[in-house]
Amino acid sequence: MTTEMTPVQRERFQAQQAFFKRPSFLIQVALVIGLILVPLVPSFRVMDMMAKIMIFSIVVASYDLILGYTGLLSFAHAMFFGIGAYSMALLCYHLGSPQWHHLILATIVALAMSVVLALILAFFSLRTKAIFFAMLSLALADFFHILGRSWRNLTLGEDGVTFSLPGILNVQGQGFSLFGLNISPRTMTYYLVLVVSVALFIFLVRFVGSPVGRVLQAIRDNEQRSTALGFKTFPHQIYSIVFGSSISSMGGILFALWLRYVDPESVLGVFSMVDYLLMVIIGGLGTMYGSIIGAAFFITVQTWLPDLLRGIAANFPDYEIIQRMADRWMAYFGVMFVVVILVFPKGIVGTVQKIIRRRRMASFK
Amino acid sequence: MGQYRWESDLAKAPVIETKDLTIRFGGNVAVNTVNLQFEEYSLKSIIGPNGAGKTTLFNLISGQYKPTSGQVIFDGQDITGLDPATRTKLGIGRSFQLTNIFSTLSVLENVRLALQSKADVGMVFWRHWRSYFKLEDQAYELLKQVLLEDRWADEANTLTHGEKRKLEIAILLGLDPKVLLLDEPTAGMSIEEVPAILKIIQNIKAARKRTILLVEHKFDMIMNVSDSIAVLKDGRLICDDVPEAVSCNPEVMEAYLGGGMKYG
Ligand SMILES: Nc1ncnc2c1ncn2[C@@H]1O[C@H](COP(=O)(O)OP(=O)(O)OP(=O)(O)O)[C@@H](O)[C@H]1O
Ligand SMILES: [Mg+2]
Repeated sequence: MTTEMTPVQRERFQAQQAFFKRPSFLIQVALVIGLILVPLVPSFRVMDMMAKIMIFSIVVASYDLILGYTGLLSFAHAMFFGIGAYSMALLCYHLGSPQWHHLILATIVALAMSVVLALILAFFSLRTKAIFFAMLSLALADFFHILGRSWRNLTLGEDGVTFSLPGILNVQGQGFSLFGLNISPRTMTYYLVLVVSVALFIFLVRFVGSPVGRVLQAIRDNEQRSTALGFKTFPHQIYSIVFGSSISSMGGILFALWLRYVDPESVLGVFSMVDYLLMVIIGGLGTMYGSIIGAAFFITVQTWLPDLLRGIAANFPDYEIIQRMADRWMAYFGVMFVVVILVFPKGIVGTVQKIIRRRRMASFK
Repeated sequence: MGQYRWESDLAKAPVIETKDLTIRFGGNVAVNTVNLQFEEYSLKSIIGPNGAGKTTLFNLISGQYKPTSGQVIFDGQDITGLDPATRTKLGIGRSFQLTNIFSTLSVLENVRLALQSKADVGMVFWRHWRSYFKLEDQAYELLKQVLLEDRWADEANTLTHGEKRKLEIAILLGLDPKVLLLDEPTAGMSIEEVPAILKIIQNIKAARKRTILLVEHKFDMIMNVSDSIAVLKDGRLICDDVPEAVSCNPEVMEAYLGGGMKYG
């Protein structure tokens, strides 16, 4: 080609050439390496926290697909998470001694249920007004929450289900030794969580980066205009809800694998939706990567802030006011949340991305 | 019906036809039993005073509104029951009088989406959007045509009003429909910007591969480019003829002067 490149071609050329050198790519590689090395830290608490951050990153990322990219407010995302968690727990619990095929079966059951429920939700509500989608999702979520609490024969009700896992994931087992390092069943489970979360996250990023992802953003921006361009709203929204919800249930499966215990409140509770919303907003709606930041921020604060406050309070045993203030960790979290949103109005990643993009694009005028 | 310049096309069935098309908003009949034929590859202008029902007629043809009664026929097929997205896929594309763009997306992306729709890859989720790089390059070319290429990387809501109007045209060009519905494409543009848009319209017309429906207030422009002119008043079709005949029709002039129509 001898003709001069247009600015669009130059921008694309640079973006494709520099892909492996781009800071965002290097950060991601460093992040994965860091996660692989986490089990070397001799603290179960750290590993536990990191596993939860990974799990909630993909749950929140899939929520971002539905809320941030598609603009649909679903209150059923925690329900799909719970369906995944309960599929795993109930199959392992009820089918006798744990087998590997129970895990595969649980995944299939969870995905099948998620797809069917997501389709039901979409078909009954999306044809009408967006608010019906929110309402129906809330009703459905509440129904499953009640089901989890009261169908005692199946779910053991409020007591929850404790179960064990097969083979090298079984914490009663010995684990094995690799290059002189002892890999415990816990560590193996951690790596399983790592591999699945990274794979699902890559899938989500690819999905929003596909032509469908582009149309979803167009529909969210201006639905009337996108229908006048020939994009049908309904099939695209179906795509988003089905994929998003199924991935949430995969997150639930990982959560159950990690804790080997589920109960209605922690995996089906509608109030978890508030946490998801906080996480996705902290990171930035419609950014995907924001969900990692949001989940990391939220779970880190949730893990360490109560300790920190208790530690401070212990130093001031005579001041009752400090003792009382230390009990209210949620309040401090609320303050931190407000500060983050004031500094980063589009969420942490959303705001930073916007600045970077503006700078980069200015050089291609 | 009057005589068209394109006598040879008369034998052909019209590409779009409205049959007793009527829509009522409460007591107000915005479009009243309108029967119109749009010959293939012709340019028909629709004029009339403010509130005559021109935009409403477009909304009925492109599917944003459903008529109270009557039909819209496209290529011999009754499309009255089809939604706007399906009609676009069939080949009816439109621009909007009140600017209607994707304001949070980039200028280039606005046009690229139209091209993506035309390329029919809107349901692909396993490939990256940038792998369809031709669409980006074509979008840039279209922005050049409407003299908007300098703004390609900006968010669409940072455009001036006149620039948004040009983007609106570029989007429609990206869609490249068989039938173009242009609702006051040059309204709100500055005088210097109008000729480029007019040229685009004339070029499309000259190629005789597309049918154009044009709503405009600029009378001299309409007289120049139109093969035929339909005049609406209070939702009724009062005249549909070649430009010369329309301009000396007393009823039209009465509607025109009495109805407070703007001069371009
Ligand atoms: N959605 C609606 N609801 C109620 N009335 C409407 C609606 N859309 C249009 N109308 C009415 O229909 C009539 C025709 O409006 P329309 O916008 O089609 O006029 P127009 O010929 O395009 O005028 P202009 O030259 O100002 O663009 C007006 O009286 C308008 O108030
Ligand atoms: Mg109008």
